[in-house]
Amino acid sequence: MIETSPRPLPVDDDVDTGGFFEAARRHELAIRICDGCGAVLHMPRAYCHTCGSWAGHWQPVAGRGRVYSWTTVEHQVHPAFPVPYTIVLIQLDDVRARLVGHLPGAPELVEGQPMEVWFETLDDGVVLPQWRTVTS
Amino acid sequence: MTEFHHRDRCAIVGIGATDFSRNSGRSDLTLATQAALAAIEDAGLAPNDIDGIVRCDMDTVRHNDLADALGIEELTYWGEVGPGGVAPCAQVGQAVGAILSGQATTVLVFRELNGRSGRRYGLSKQTDLRAGGAGSYDEFFAPYGLLTPGQIFAVIAQRHMLEYGTSEKQLGRIAVTCRERANANPRAQMHDRPLTMDDYLSARMISRPLRLYDFCLETDGACAVVVTSTDRARDLRQKPALIRAVAQNSIPNPQPGMQFPVLMRDHITELPAKAVAKTLFTRAGLGPQDVDVAQVYDCFTITVLMQLEDWGFCAKGEGGPFVASGEIDLGGSIPINTGGGHLSEGYIHGMNHIVEGVRQIRGESTSQVPGAEVCLVTSTALPPGSALMLTAA
Repeated sequence: MIETSPRPLPVDDDVDTGGFFEAARRHELAIRICDGCGAVLHMPRAYCHTCGSWAGHWQPVAGRGRVYSWTTVEHQVHPAFPVPYTIVLIQLDDVRARLVGHLPGAPELVEGQPMEVWFETLDDGVVLPQWRTVTS
Repeated sequence: MTEFHHRDRCAIVGIGATDFSRNSGRSDLTLATQAALAAIEDAGLAPNDIDGIVRCDMDTVRHNDLADALGIEELTYWGEVGPGGVAPCAQVGQAVGAILSGQATTVLVFRELNGRSGRRYGLSKQTDLRAGGAGSYDEFFAPYGLLTPGQIFAVIAQRHMLEYGTSEKQLGRIAVTCRERANANPRAQMHDRPLTMDDYLSARMISRPLRLYDFCLETDGACAVVVTSTDRARDLRQKPALIRAVAQNSIPNPQPGMQFPVLMRDHITELPAKAVAKTLFTRAGLGPQDVDVAQVYDCFTITVLMQLEDWGFCAKGEGGPFVASGEIDLGGSIPINTGGGHLSEGYIHGMNHIVEGVRQIRGESTSQVPGAEVCLVTSTALPPGSALMLTAA
């Protein structure tokens, strides 16, 4: 058995991606959008090749999505992640973008199942958007 | 596309490989040197005939390390291709470019790794307390426990199952087929280990829906090939394997990073293989129906299944029924991975597929496809891809 260790925290102050985690600290889910043409810049980056703009902003989105795919990890590869756990790939409802989430155990999932965001506070005050089944 | 001028103008004239094991007991440099010497000897050349070296970006051995070890006095060309497993066929392509542009006459292409006793790609390389940044985009994945290529391909396999009804048993057919080829190949790590469908289905899950035998091996070993002009090849010892064509290609919006952001692509059940296929077949003047045998990059079973679709051997979504009907077996319409592949021969990160492809063209495979004159070799996993077509003279 592999010993447990602290979970790796995201680098949350990267010049291109830090706004995602800054929004998460406010309990907002935000996606990078081009100021020039509204293109979704995900993975986040500064330049929009659609219109040539270097200006963009972090747009809060609804925090609702649907299950696109998933895997339940049953073979442990890192001491911070005891198995089983499930990596879920979420297609956002209101923006053409996907994000991953971590679900404990091996939940029953269905393609297209509605999910909602919640915000997990980790060490050093880092906040990570996570996903859970919509209950209501 | 402009008319393409490299068709059949270069050839692979030497192949070399070390043994494949779980613990080589040798340094990376020793493995690379042994495979290189074997390939040079196979070609009937001496180390000083080599004037170019092309390496993979994930190799720990640099071109100057190997030139020094081999005693090469004048290295007039060196190059590097990556990332990782998409390199091998493109490495040969770079050798062809060097030769046809007059920068080298005889180029050594190699890949070595202590992939089991050294750094294991199946384990997470995330050892820092902070993940990501600096353009890696790992900050969107590692904190959630998405840490390995196998987990990426498990998410892709699940999606393929959702879209097309692909079954675990169909994936298992790929594992069993490659194992049968390995059982005939004394060099294969799994030579003495038969694998039945029951064995496959009862094996433990690694990352659902992928089981133990959906994963390639982790291997210590090395492979090398020698590339030269077809004119020069005619004077050498071996029957040349002509390089009919080589190709690299990407896709629109390929996504940045080493691997994880590919899950953000519009269609994750399609690999860049589709784009590489278009380019390679155009350059070769051949189509899928002309291919006698294929060495298909098989980091995982699902990677093979999607490539069979993307290369046009069957329609998109029909990879499952295609493999289940025996089309990839010896005697099928497209026999694959005749040495056992990464799943059962060894994982030399795509380079052993080129060595096996040459064996098929020479008529020397342990699972020889009778009369094979056209062999496809793919390095088309993720994020982009490369491939080449070998033909008999």
